[in-house]
Amino acid sequence: MKILVCITNVPDTTAKIAFIDNDTKLNKAGVQYIIGPYDDYALARAVELKEQHGGSITVLNVGEADGEQQIRKALAIGADDAIRVNCEPSDSYFVAAQIAHCAKEGSYDLILMGRESIDFNSGVVHGLVGEMLNIPSFSPVMKLDIDGNTAKFAREIEGGKEYLEASLPLVLGCQEPIAEWKIPNMRGIMTARTKPLNVVEPVAVPEAATLEKYTLPAPKGAVKMIAADDVESLIALLKSEAKVL
Amino acid sequence: MALFCITSIYKLPNMAHSFYSKRDLQFNLYELLNAEQLTQYGYYQDHDRESFEMILDAAEQISEKMLRPLLTEMDRQEPQLVDGKIRVHEGMKAIVKRFGEDGWINALFSYEEGGQQLPITVQNAAAFIFQAANYSASVFPFLTTGASNLIRTFGSKQLIDTYTPLMYSGAWQGTMALTEPDAGSSLSDISTSAEPTDEEGTYRIKGQKIYISCGDHDACENVIHLMLAKIKGGPAGTKGISLFVVPQKRLIVDANQNLIDNDVQTAGVYHKMGYKGAPIAHLMVGSNDNCLGYLVGEPHKGLNYMFQMMNEARVGVGTNAVAIGTAAYYASLQYAKERPQGRLISDKDPSKPQSLIVRHADVKRMLLFQKSIVEGALSLLLQCGLWSDLAHVAEGETKERAELLLDLLTPIAKSYPSEMCCQTTSAAVQILGGAGYTTDFPVEQFYREARIHPIHEGTTGIHGLDLLGRKIVMKNGKAVQYLMQEMYQTIVAARSVSGLENKANELEESVTTLSKTTAHLLSIAPQNTELFLADATLYLEMFGITTIAWQWLKQATVAAQALPNATAEAEQNFYQGKLMAARYFFEYELVKVQSLATRLLSHDHVTVEMQTAWF
Ligand SMILES: Cc1cc2nc3c(=O)[nH]c(=O)nc-3n(C[C@H](O)[C@H](O)[C@H](O)COP(=O)(O)OP(=O)(O)OC[C@H]3O[C@@H](n4cnc5c(N)ncnc54)[C@H](O)[C@@H]3O)c2cc1C
Repeated sequence: MKILVCITNVPDTTAKIAFIDNDTKLNKAGVQYIIGPYDDYALARAVELKEQHGGSITVLNVGEADGEQQIRKALAIGADDAIRVNCEPSDSYFVAAQIAHCAKEGSYDLILMGRESIDFNSGVVHGLVGEMLNIPSFSPVMKLDIDGNTAKFAREIEGGKEYLEASLPLVLGCQEPIAEWKIPNMRGIMTARTKPLNVVEPVAVPEAATLEKYTLPAPKGAVKMIAADDVESLIALLKSEAKVL
Repeated sequence: MALFCITSIYKLPNMAHSFYSKRDLQFNLYELLNAEQLTQYGYYQDHDRESFEMILDAAEQISEKMLRPLLTEMDRQEPQLVDGKIRVHEGMKAIVKRFGEDGWINALFSYEEGGQQLPITVQNAAAFIFQAANYSASVFPFLTTGASNLIRTFGSKQLIDTYTPLMYSGAWQGTMALTEPDAGSSLSDISTSAEPTDEEGTYRIKGQKIYISCGDHDACENVIHLMLAKIKGGPAGTKGISLFVVPQKRLIVDANQNLIDNDVQTAGVYHKMGYKGAPIAHLMVGSNDNCLGYLVGEPHKGLNYMFQMMNEARVGVGTNAVAIGTAAYYASLQYAKERPQGRLISDKDPSKPQSLIVRHADVKRMLLFQKSIVEGALSLLLQCGLWSDLAHVAEGETKERAELLLDLLTPIAKSYPSEMCCQTTSAAVQILGGAGYTTDFPVEQFYREARIHPIHEGTTGIHGLDLLGRKIVMKNGKAVQYLMQEMYQTIVAARSVSGLENKANELEESVTTLSKTTAHLLSIAPQNTELFLADATLYLEMFGITTIAWQWLKQATVAAQALPNATAEAEQNFYQGKLMAARYFFEYELVKVQSLATRLLSHDHVTVEMQTAWF
């Protein structure tokens, strides 16, 4: 089985976000990067599936060279080789088009990725890739097994879970508890450097959107403590200060 | 109302999460030490910054996932002796297995031995993360690394093949079994005996060992003691001490390589004030005359072998102390940023909300005290790691320099953080006020755990004697000369950095005071050794403070140069924090050198003249 795992290179969840160049660019100085947490789940499950069924895992990142550290981590965790599409991942459509292009060339049985990245959180790339490749896509997938040519999986839906089966090839957007995040071991870390990483140039994609600027959410206000039995004051404040009633 | 606030705000389940600073480790490794320089050497050539980072990330992930969650539980559920066997927290099995399977136990060793040729500097940085997360749990694999290192360095091929693979895998625990009831600081007085058997290299061992860390437990299948004993008929004192592999269960040579009991009985498990998760055993060895030990290397060289490994173990103890101190610092910092209490002296308006305690000067003092000690000591410890690496892979003067500096500063690297982190963890408790004294918060545990470090791996008193009595004068003072050169280099570099000129002068003054004091003490030595060494512990303290000030001047130089180019707020804060901590250390700690000098230069020898009956 050939598995493609798409990973994003995103700021650590605790990173302080600030913008530069008239609020059009993230200030990357001092920001620690990680593999997108949902992508990390996808990767972990891919490693388990490979252990069970054999095959290979290719990890794919659409991004600039500074993301190679995360790619190497994915190789250390258990991917066999990697592709980096050398460009700034400007929007979901653009990224999906790059993934679809690579996927076509590699003819993978399974394309896994996180249900969404944690920087832009659009959560649409898996659907777009499925559409571009003309194969089914599902998200958010929280359980996944492979039986021959069939994927058996559970998807989170409003208020419950949906159990599905579908034939490969498939695109799946993953989330916990599909697998536990894997921590690379020493041998994996040392062999990651020797595994192939192919850097390819992006294919041309018509621009779907242009960025004007970013803004940060308003800072969190101070906390007011109200005694548990003082409901009147709470309602008054929700009306007068929070203005939500 | 009050209760509502306390439970909802101050019992923070996630509080424990920031137990160290990754940024500070990176600052040390890349900005201060340039640890990447090691990859120029053949032995480390397969590494690069990315592999270092991945290793540290893996250490953090294991710590967060496996070690930190058991911190409190392991303290509350102490090891118990049940039917002659010590039971430890059930989570330890998975932890030990993890360290073995993931290759942490033998990461330092060569590829041929299944290791990853990891630089000691990086290993120490990773160990620091584990120790900050859960000191007791981190000790199990650390001890196995030390014990297996002794076997692979000095043992026969047969010993290496028999024992190390299962130690590396985490299936077997390693220990250092030195201490006996009558021989703690004074190892020359051990009485455990070794009698040759008909089989070459195999001895019958008899005696007892006390306080043996991980000396027996149920998280591993077997325990391999690296034990000191005296071969009968050998020379007296330290010259008669040999080193043996004494397994708890020995292999019998049959088709299945079965294990049988090797007559090492666990007589007891010690109940301790802290560091409770690790089992510390009292062992009776050969009570039934059926304990076999296997000689490591040559007879009578045991203590020598042990001491060759001691530098690393002692730097390891210093790192443990700083790790616990660091965890306490971050716990108290977080609390101080969240606890409103009182109002600033400059703004006492009672109608305004209370101030967060982090804004009170006295609380800031206690935080700066912790920060300046733990970050100052950490940089020395990582520097020691780099010297260990250079001693291992470099040649010529670089190698000699690294070896001598490491040798000279090992007593400082072990004792300064050990002593000081007892005080810093106390400051952490103080910051939490009443809450700090309760078991609702981890700082009281850190305070208890820190206390072991001035005791084991040689007490502070013994390290004082080692520094003044041996290290200062070794090789005609060449090590001290090297250190002075290093310190003056830092002073000269700092003088050209705006804002650091005074700090450079202050360090120079302290170095001069230290040199004068050393000369004075050495002048006493030929006439009266007892007077010469009476205050060796204070001399160690003085030397330690000066050494950490040197580290701070280095850090401040790098920070001052990096600050103007730092664009992100977090980076600016980081470098500002470094500069302020350096300032604090010079203003509040370095000044102590003068009072220590007054004492050390005094002709009043009260401790020597005091008589037992007068107490
Ligand atoms: C939790 C724990 C874990 C340990 N783990 C191990 C282990 O794994 N393996 C092992 O072999 N040992 C271990 N030890 C033992 C430890 O190394 C010893 O306790 C330590 O070396 C001190 O020896 P002692 O307890 O006999 O104290 P003593 O030697 O009796 O010292 C008592 C005091 O006298 C001072 N003193 C002693 N001699 C002198 C001198 N000549 N000059 C000036 N002052 C002196 C000391 O500084 C100290 O303050 C452990 C101990 C503890 C508490």
